[in-house]
Amino acid sequence: MREIMGHTAGRVYLAVLLLSIVAMIAFIVTGGLETPAGEEPFLLFGWMTMSLVAGAIFVIVWLIAYLIYFFRFWPYR
Amino acid sequence: MGFEIISLTAFGLVIIGLAAYGYKISAKTAEDYMLAGRTIGVVVMFFFVLFAISSSWTFYGFPGMLYLHGPGYVFFIWGSVAGFAALYMFLGPRLWALAKINRFLSPVEALAERYESKGLRMVLALSILAFIVPYVGIQPLGVGAGFQALTGLPTIWGATYTVILLVVLVLLGGMRIVAWVNIFLGAVYVTALLGSLIWIVQAAVPGGLPGAAERLMEIDPQLLTTPGPFGEFSPVLVAGTFVVGLLAFSWPHVVIGAMTARDKHLFKWFPLLVFVFGGLFFYIIPFIWGSLAAPSIIPPAELAERAAAAGSTLEIEADRVVQTIITWRLPGWFGVFVLMGVVAAAVSTAAVQLMTSSIIVARDVVQGIFKPDASDKQITTWARWSVIVIVVLSLTVSIIDTGLMALYLTDVSIPGFAQWAPALVGGLLWKRGTREGAIAGTAVGVIYLALGLLITPGGSRVLLLDLHPIVPTLLVNLIVYVVVSLLTPEPSEEIHTQFFDEVDEFLRSES
Repeated sequence: MREIMGHTAGRVYLAVLLLSIVAMIAFIVTGGLETPAGEEPFLLFGWMTMSLVAGAIFVIVWLIAYLIYFFRFWPYR
Repeated sequence: MGFEIISLTAFGLVIIGLAAYGYKISAKTAEDYMLAGRTIGVVVMFFFVLFAISSSWTFYGFPGMLYLHGPGYVFFIWGSVAGFAALYMFLGPRLWALAKINRFLSPVEALAERYESKGLRMVLALSILAFIVPYVGIQPLGVGAGFQALTGLPTIWGATYTVILLVVLVLLGGMRIVAWVNIFLGAVYVTALLGSLIWIVQAAVPGGLPGAAERLMEIDPQLLTTPGPFGEFSPVLVAGTFVVGLLAFSWPHVVIGAMTARDKHLFKWFPLLVFVFGGLFFYIIPFIWGSLAAPSIIPPAELAERAAAAGSTLEIEADRVVQTIITWRLPGWFGVFVLMGVVAAAVSTAAVQLMTSSIIVARDVVQGIFKPDASDKQITTWARWSVIVIVVLSLTVSIIDTGLMALYLTDVSIPGFAQWAPALVGGLLWKRGTREGAIAGTAVGVIYLALGLLITPGGSRVLLLDLHPIVPTLLVNLIVYVVVSLLTPEPSEEIHTQFFDEVDEFLRSES
């Protein structure tokens, strides 16, 4: 991690990951997963619940950031 | 009954045969027994680690929790995926290089040398053992529950069967064979988990997964959202569960895996498998099982009635609802195959935990503290025989404490594992971290956690402020580590050179 902190691309990478964690926590704490009273639960494609969709998006963000950084910028690649 | 016994015996003999073969080809050195000679490549490493962390909990505790409380608990998985990837992206390369250059055999040994402290070695070793040992015992008991659901035999039969496999595998095989056997066990495990889901959805869920969701809308729409039917998973608890998952980078039996790597390129490729195969495929299977398929086939209210009639509780029955449905709705022979998958899951995890525990006992406690001049052969012998002591101890603790499987993992073991995280991360990445800071932070965190879990007047964890155990304890641990480190003398220049400059140089030059 010291090598990642040592250059701009690495710092941007860490910032993206940190932001994704903060965004996820903010989304959860502000009630983004909950169903408003009187409404039906969110279901994508008829079965994917909000907890599944939100988590999958989170993993995909990490995957894309990792692919770009580790295969183009990581000093020890 | 005869078919089940013959099948499970044959399965057990395959595992024992692999362990015996591993013993025959092993180099009989401590490095070979404990770290597979540092020769594990990326594919073996991935399945080794994936199935080391995917225990019978993935079959029972995880879907059981989703079944009872809706999908909120899955945030533990999202956090864990990021946590495991972070271990291999951020800490793994340095720990691996450090251990390879200095021939360290355990992460505790590496930290003890980094902080120049035998006292810290003892504190870390004992605290890790205290939290990993009970978790080892949960695995055989998890299999025992599956045995009972399938065959009606008492739990102890399945638990004994699993313990025999575990002891033989770890005693004979060592880390290399545990890693290789994990691939075989993982193949059985994935086939059973995915196969059972596809089959049960076709056989018992009209309309497929959208049909299951429609059925849950009729039964109780809260099963499809947070906070769930009992209002358990509030936003704060879901966020806490997510953070607990993120701390997966500190699980000792996963951290030690990084030390078995063949070269640094493993750390470049490993996260790809974690994200794609682990996060977007493997863990979705038990999620669908627990949150959609199972409650649409047996609604929780119906399971509660069955539990009451059988003199059991809804929580216990929820833990084994997957096995119950398979036994009830699919052919008997497939139920046996699924139980093999559960055995595979339990053995693959407990074997790595046992290996890790035995390494810490032999290398860090016995050699590190009491007998520094021990030979290679003596260390390996102690590691092997400590396996039996650890198994007996872990089973005893697990039988005494019959808490729910999912809650034991997230409420006790993981907060316990996390207590060495500040010392670990600081030791590898922060030059200013000191011996005094590491000892004080770890000791305060462990003591606070133990008291917080034990002192519960009226069922309330007052010392933990009724928060998730990991939150206040880790925060206090971290603050103590940083403050005490800054107030005590900086580590010597030799430590900076050995643990930072040489590691950087090695990682830059190694190809």
